[in-house]
Amino acid sequence: MSDEPAAAADGETGSSFADTVGIWMPRGDELRVMTATAVVLAVFPFVFSRMPVVSDLLQGYQSLATLILIWGIFALGFDLLLGYTGLLSFGHAAFWGGAAYAAGVFSQHVSGSPILMVLAGTVFAVLLAWFLGFLSLRRGGIYFAILTLAFAQMMFYMSSSPLAFITGGENGFTGVETAELFGLFPLESELPLVLETLLGTWLYAFVAVIALLCVALGYRILHSPYGMVFRAIRENEQRAEFVGLNVWRYRLMSFIISGFFAGVAGSLFVIHGTYVPLSSLYWTTSGEVVIMTVLGGTGSLFGPVVGAGVYLYVENIVSGGHPFEFVAPFWHLILGLVFVVTIWVFPRGIWGFFRDVRDYVTGGED
Amino acid sequence: MSLLDVDAVDAYYGESHILRDLSLTVEEGEVCALLGRNGAGKTTTLRSISGAKPPEVRDGTVRFKGDDITGLPADDVAMQGISLVPEERRVFANLTVEENLRIAEVSRNTSNTWRRPRTATGQSMSTEQVYEDFPRLGERKTQKAGTLSGGEQQMLAIARALKQSTDLLLLDEPYEGLAPKIVEDVEAAIERISDQGVTILLVEQNAAAAIKIADRAYVVDQGAVVFDGSATELRDDDETRERYLGV
Repeated sequence: MSDEPAAAADGETGSSFADTVGIWMPRGDELRVMTATAVVLAVFPFVFSRMPVVSDLLQGYQSLATLILIWGIFALGFDLLLGYTGLLSFGHAAFWGGAAYAAGVFSQHVSGSPILMVLAGTVFAVLLAWFLGFLSLRRGGIYFAILTLAFAQMMFYMSSSPLAFITGGENGFTGVETAELFGLFPLESELPLVLETLLGTWLYAFVAVIALLCVALGYRILHSPYGMVFRAIRENEQRAEFVGLNVWRYRLMSFIISGFFAGVAGSLFVIHGTYVPLSSLYWTTSGEVVIMTVLGGTGSLFGPVVGAGVYLYVENIVSGGHPFEFVAPFWHLILGLVFVVTIWVFPRGIWGFFRDVRDYVTGGED
Repeated sequence: MSLLDVDAVDAYYGESHILRDLSLTVEEGEVCALLGRNGAGKTTTLRSISGAKPPEVRDGTVRFKGDDITGLPADDVAMQGISLVPEERRVFANLTVEENLRIAEVSRNTSNTWRRPRTATGQSMSTEQVYEDFPRLGERKTQKAGTLSGGEQQMLAIARALKQSTDLLLLDEPYEGLAPKIVEDVEAAIERISDQGVTILLVEQNAAAAIKIADRAYVVDQGAVVFDGSATELRDDDETRERYLGV
């Protein structure tokens, strides 16, 4: 743990320009994490879909690389709620799908600028999370899970028929009109020079930059007093209370933060697909993000992203008959097996397993 | 006006009547001991004050600095300046020692003004001061609190409470399960805190240890006060001690 959080907690005095800039610049552990993330994001599409031999083995493709990042952002935010604050929401489709619809409708009626679409979708998701969190967090445990599920299903129902004149009902929202990035670069066009080999399209570059910002934000939150309070609440709610913390308020904050990430991801999802399927509000979407998060490993920044990658890989590649043709019809079964075996053998998820291995090798403890 | 005034409280868990017309006061600056056998109602008394796992108080009031705090949620009670060191596993085991101390700072810096303003006026200890007073904690500040020994955890819980701004420190069985040598350390820590001007309400089964450092003592039995006097009086009152404390 770096000494940065301590500085943040005590740093009420310094407010000069240099300090303000200093706060925004990553240092120490944070700088290392951010650099590593940037490098991985920069080479991922190349390794996954274009590198000789490796990409033949993986059978990856550009669009899936983008999709993995988008779901990765969703799962990362979800883990802030599940893995750190200890709340299992079963209704995060509401924020993902809600943001997707909001961004889509926004693009049709106001502006198709990708940046503004993300902004619009995220604002919608945050306000919705505020409202639904306020209502759902009245109860804990299973009641909370069921309440969030119920609210998300209400949204699904609303957009499937009463609001079909806006949302397109069963057909999904088809009127997405995405404009060029900064008014210059069509998202599906290829990047110049070496960037084309590495990153591929402008769309990937756009998503990757946002993903990097999301990782930075997640890192900051987890290493701020908020992150500490979230972990304390997860460990023992009562103890947190008599230390003087308003548990309810911190839980709501955590819920809104995860709604924020879901909103960013949902907006990117509609930009990526230029279409909002009705199923983006369906409870299976809420279930998928739970599975991704647990599969990758709760209580870590990157575990959920890895989980999202594995999940989407099985869903898109293995289901297409790679590497074995005959398993294609059974890809759900394969996914189930991967999940069960992972949880059985590595209760802390894929990422947790790698951390345990590292700790074993270095003899250290994180 | 007493700092803490528990006035004729009747408290229930479900239908069981736990506290019966219980009254006690704690004066500013003193160490007040609340003694009694297991199940006499000591912890319930603390809980009706602190709001942590509170019983249902059907009658009577709890006043702190003159304000009615009966039935206030635990976080609001903490904001008034009452810090609790609860019995048994008292720290956030998955947080480091340093984080356990910092978390009290977070709560000190926030305020639930939209519910009830913060009125705590007590000083809060600086982290440096904590490490100076409890050097063992300084040595282990990056360790998970769960890896500390029982005595160290108790010290940490006390230190954490002192990092909130504390006008009244509630200690629930601080000696429980500790080795005699460690009990002496904790005792010394409590005396030092008291010398710094913090008011303490000490709940103990170990009457002999409590009387040693207390100014005044209450003895409770079956949810009611059966003795109220100075620590010296209790020391000389063999009958009360034998009957209610078994010593």
